[in-house]
Amino acid sequence: MPVRTWVNDGWTRRSLLTAAVAGLGLGATAACGIFDDEPPTPPDPDPLEPLLAGTIALADRYDATIAALPELTTRLTPVRDAHRTHATELARMIGKPLPSSSPAATSSAPADAAAAVAALRTAEQQAQRAAADACLAASAKRAPVLGSIAASRATHVEVLS
Amino acid sequence: MSDLPTALTAEHAAIFGYGIAGAHLTGAAQDAARAAEAAHRARRDALLLLLAGTPTSAPPAAPVYALPFPVTDGPSALRLAIHLEERTAAVWQRTLGTTTGDQRRMSLDALTDCAVRATRWRKAAGVNPATVPLPGTT
Repeated sequence: MPVRTWVNDGWTRRSLLTAAVAGLGLGATAACGIFDDEPPTPPDPDPLEPLLAGTIALADRYDATIAALPELTTRLTPVRDAHRTHATELARMIGKPLPSSSPAATSSAPADAAAAVAALRTAEQQAQRAAADACLAASAKRAPVLGSIAASRATHVEVLS
Repeated sequence: MSDLPTALTAEHAAIFGYGIAGAHLTGAAQDAARAAEAAHRARRDALLLLLAGTPTSAPPAAPVYALPFPVTDGPSALRLAIHLEERTAAVWQRTLGTTTGDQRRMSLDALTDCAVRATRWRKAAGVNPATVPLPGTT
């Protein structure tokens, strides 16, 4: 039996779609009572949600590193606190309460201080790019704070070098 | 209208200020002051070029700018350098809200550079912590 694809069979994508939509329309007409009770579509997530989640995760990572390597406390605490401030600012812009931390997810801090600082420096570089991208894509109202967050992360790279 | 003319005025003032600070610094700190001054000159030139293509007039440099405090020695010169970067960062941070596209990218690069230099100067001056949570808002 020859194998025939829908293209050389004379079917086009459009005609298939039309058929599908026609079928759907019949079904929808028959079931309109069900659709009336459907809850409204939830709004799209705020574009800053990933940045907020990443910021909280980064702050948690500092907590885990400080817990594992107390000799880094003085050096890392102001940086950790800056990320907490950023998370508060981001939650305020999104218009929702600040989500709680999940330190359990970040319990794997390196055992060596130099390796831990190097890992955090790499994380800050990535976080700086994420904040810079958000700043460039943001509304006029949000851009200044997002720019400060990006600049702050560049200064973290500096103090971790 | 963007805040780019205000940013240009801030860059003029930073260039003037580094002339004063550099005269009271020696060694690596003086080298850093010269590099910072060159960076501000480059930003000023980029701004002049940008504003030349718009109807907005570019404010000229004043012969003298008021210093926030007397600068008489190395420690006060380091404090001035920190001040210059913080003030310029604040102007660029506001510019982010009045620009889009390439101009916003320029503003973000400028804010970031100012913030990093402010952190280096705080380290040189022994200010701890050397970072602030939201550069440009202080």
